[in-house]
Amino acid sequence: MIWLLLATHCAVCLFLAIVGNRLGRIVFILAALPAVAAAVWGVLQLVSDKPPEEASLIWVDGLDLSFTFQLSPIASLMTVIISGIGVCVLIYSFGYFSKDSPGLGKFSATLLLFSTSMLGLVWSDSVWTLFVFWELTSITSFLLIGHKNVYSRARLSARRALLITASGGLCLLAGLLIISDNVGTSRLSEMSSTGSVSVAALLIMIAAATKSAQFPFHVWLPGAMAAPTPVSAYLHSATMVKAGVVIVALFSPIFIETEVWKNAGLFFGVVSMLWGAIGALRQFDAKLILAWGTVSQLGLMFTLLSLGNAKATFAAIAIVVAHAVFKAALFMIVGEIDVRTGTRDIRELSGLAKSMPLAFLAALVSAASMAGVPPLLGFAAKEAAVEAALGLSGLEAWLIGGSIVFGSALTVAYTVRFLIGVFAIKATVVNTNVKPLSLGLSVPSTFLGLCSVFGFIFLPVVSAWASSASVQINQKAEVYELYRWPGLTDAFLLSVAIVIVGAFLGWKLEKIVVRQAEPLGADFTDSLISAVLKLAQKITGKIQHGSLPVYVTTMAVTSSLATIPFFFALDATQIYWADNWAQSVLVVLILGSSFTVVALRSRLGAAIALGFVGLGVTGLFVAHGAPDLALTQLLVETVIVVGFVIGLGKLAHGFPPVVAIWRGARMLVSAFVGIAVLVSLLASASSPTGKPPIADLVEKSKNQGGGNNVVNVILTDIRILDTLGEITVLVVVGIGILALAKPKQRLKVNQGEIDKGDIV
Amino acid sequence: MITTDSPILRIGVKVISPLALLVATYLFFAGHNQPGGGFSAGLVIGAVVVLRTVTGLQRTSHVTKLLAVGTIIAALVGIVPVFFGEPMLAQSIWETTLPLLGKVKFGSALIFDFGVTLVVVGMVSAAIEGLGGTQYVSSREVEDI
Repeated sequence: MIWLLLATHCAVCLFLAIVGNRLGRIVFILAALPAVAAAVWGVLQLVSDKPPEEASLIWVDGLDLSFTFQLSPIASLMTVIISGIGVCVLIYSFGYFSKDSPGLGKFSATLLLFSTSMLGLVWSDSVWTLFVFWELTSITSFLLIGHKNVYSRARLSARRALLITASGGLCLLAGLLIISDNVGTSRLSEMSSTGSVSVAALLIMIAAATKSAQFPFHVWLPGAMAAPTPVSAYLHSATMVKAGVVIVALFSPIFIETEVWKNAGLFFGVVSMLWGAIGALRQFDAKLILAWGTVSQLGLMFTLLSLGNAKATFAAIAIVVAHAVFKAALFMIVGEIDVRTGTRDIRELSGLAKSMPLAFLAALVSAASMAGVPPLLGFAAKEAAVEAALGLSGLEAWLIGGSIVFGSALTVAYTVRFLIGVFAIKATVVNTNVKPLSLGLSVPSTFLGLCSVFGFIFLPVVSAWASSASVQINQKAEVYELYRWPGLTDAFLLSVAIVIVGAFLGWKLEKIVVRQAEPLGADFTDSLISAVLKLAQKITGKIQHGSLPVYVTTMAVTSSLATIPFFFALDATQIYWADNWAQSVLVVLILGSSFTVVALRSRLGAAIALGFVGLGVTGLFVAHGAPDLALTQLLVETVIVVGFVIGLGKLAHGFPPVVAIWRGARMLVSAFVGIAVLVSLLASASSPTGKPPIADLVEKSKNQGGGNNVVNVILTDIRILDTLGEITVLVVVGIGILALAKPKQRLKVNQGEIDKGDIV
Repeated sequence: MITTDSPILRIGVKVISPLALLVATYLFFAGHNQPGGGFSAGLVIGAVVVLRTVTGLQRTSHVTKLLAVGTIIAALVGIVPVFFGEPMLAQSIWETTLPLLGKVKFGSALIFDFGVTLVVVGMVSAAIEGLGGTQYVSSREVEDI
């Protein structure tokens, strides 16, 4: 089933990418089909009692590389979230884009590919599979953020996001290498805690923090709002940023004894929770308020997961579910407002509560869920978090618990800011004109708003799902559940206080804040990029001076110097002159032609003499009984000589005159190269280290390769990987030649670059 | 340039090209048991392309496509066995009896070799284009064979 789902996803992606651009908006409905299947399957997995489904495909056996998947409870829960929200987002995209928007096929294919890579990420059991899909999410999200690629802002944001998440990916790779080496297995389900592994823990935690936009890596997330709203609703609320949380959840049991894991996680979590919330309070763009709010909520999840106790883990999982539902809905509503009014700035919006009643209701419910107001899913989850905060003791209770409570109050504050800013009637602002309702835009957000309510009504179900997922992380989490009505506990009273204080703060601050905040550090990332580019330009200017003779001399001398070790390995006793007379004659011919090449002043003459050298070598191969090599050499020589003829047509007849000393130096270099090649060949032929493999190869070639031409069987079977590598190099060289040969075309691209400046 | 104006060379190349393609086909299929193979076949075709370009008979075309398709074919031959539980790049050999040809042995290495051929032809074409070989055509319209 796992394979079937992945294959269907990929097939639909491919189909959409190829023909999607001609189909119009229907592509989103097509893309939603596999997502529906995955979501339904995820639910079935959650309710069934069977052992988790597994699938495995060995890739390279010797390196322990394989695609291995296992549907653990966390994976099932995330499948429901990813594909469920995915379906809503795809339907929403149908309403969001106009009929004639360009590139819908590419966009829907990328969105679905992203969804596929998220599924692959959460399903992975092998850490290498996990890494592959992790990188895929980075790449697809780069493409999605940069969808409006004619805007410089979108390109810049996409590059920034890629730079940060890709460096996180490198950290992850390093961390995974260390931990899999340390534990002795690459399978997550077989890994267990093996004591303290600080470096790996820190690396993986940093990787998770970059993906989940944790302070100080959060700078990419607000910029990523340059993407179309469906992308923000999907990637930057419900799914991609949760990838980091999933990683933390999966690796928590393994790093349970590692002190630095917990401390780093708490640092990222607490700082992001507070800084994100403060950031949200300083924004005027409704979408940015939500984006900063996401940073804050992810910080809360990091904090709870890093605490490591069962209660907090359970609360974290519950918040993951609740957050996905309400944040996706809120993003969709902001997108709807953007489409219907033409602005997202809360200073320009007024009276939307009356003119967009359905969106207002859905937003009210979702925002209340975000603030933790009963009777909604968010309340139950937030209640569990507050319970966990109250359960702490000592310094942790004051620092971490206090931060969670304060962060929750700030969350209420920015929620209030969002609601008042977007929907309230403002005396100073003219009521905003609103375009008519569109079903494609309203249905998904209304549905997700209702989910926050249904989640509360069917709370035991959600609770059971969260519980089974958290048991996977911490065995002791079994006893916890979400309550509809906890009674008048300390936690409940604290929650009431949080909402009151937060609401007051939000109401007051709404009037005070006047300046929109830019994410600190975003400029730093950008200037880092441009500094690297400038440095590269300087270095290139020095090295790539443009003198062909100097290039060739540099390469020839360097590679000849590299053969110096061969001079010491030379075994003079093994050397003999020739096998037969033909060889001697040919060698004389080759040497004669070589000297002619050096001595001639005519370009054409030198080219022809060089051809003679090649033919002489071909003759040597024949004399030695290697017809295959001879044939290839002959053909190569032919093509080269004709190539020379073409090239020479553009040049003057003779070589340009040079001073005698330079001419002498060139001859010296040529002689040096010749001697270096001669000695290195003699040395490698004269000191064999074992039996020549030829007998073995002949045997293999006949039995396994099924051919009598050993050379060819070596090329296409026994050493096929080498051949594959070689032709790849050929292709790269070919593309390089084409790129170098067309400077005019490149110039055209640069000049025609479209730049429409700012969009946000 | 002298080459474009020489009718002897032009007609000679015209006559030789189909023959050379025949030789390339022979080399390609003979490669498994005798001298030849995809690389040599690619070079022969490449030489034909070079000669025809020099004499102004055709332009180099689809260079990037040749390179891309060749690499993709070769890579696919490597990857497909994985889906049948074999190690990556494993070769499969099929034997059948065909009318006229008799017993025919066919290995997946042949498909791989075809990818190599395409890449070599593409590479040679890229080199001609890079060296400015297409300039010979610009003075003269492209003719059919």
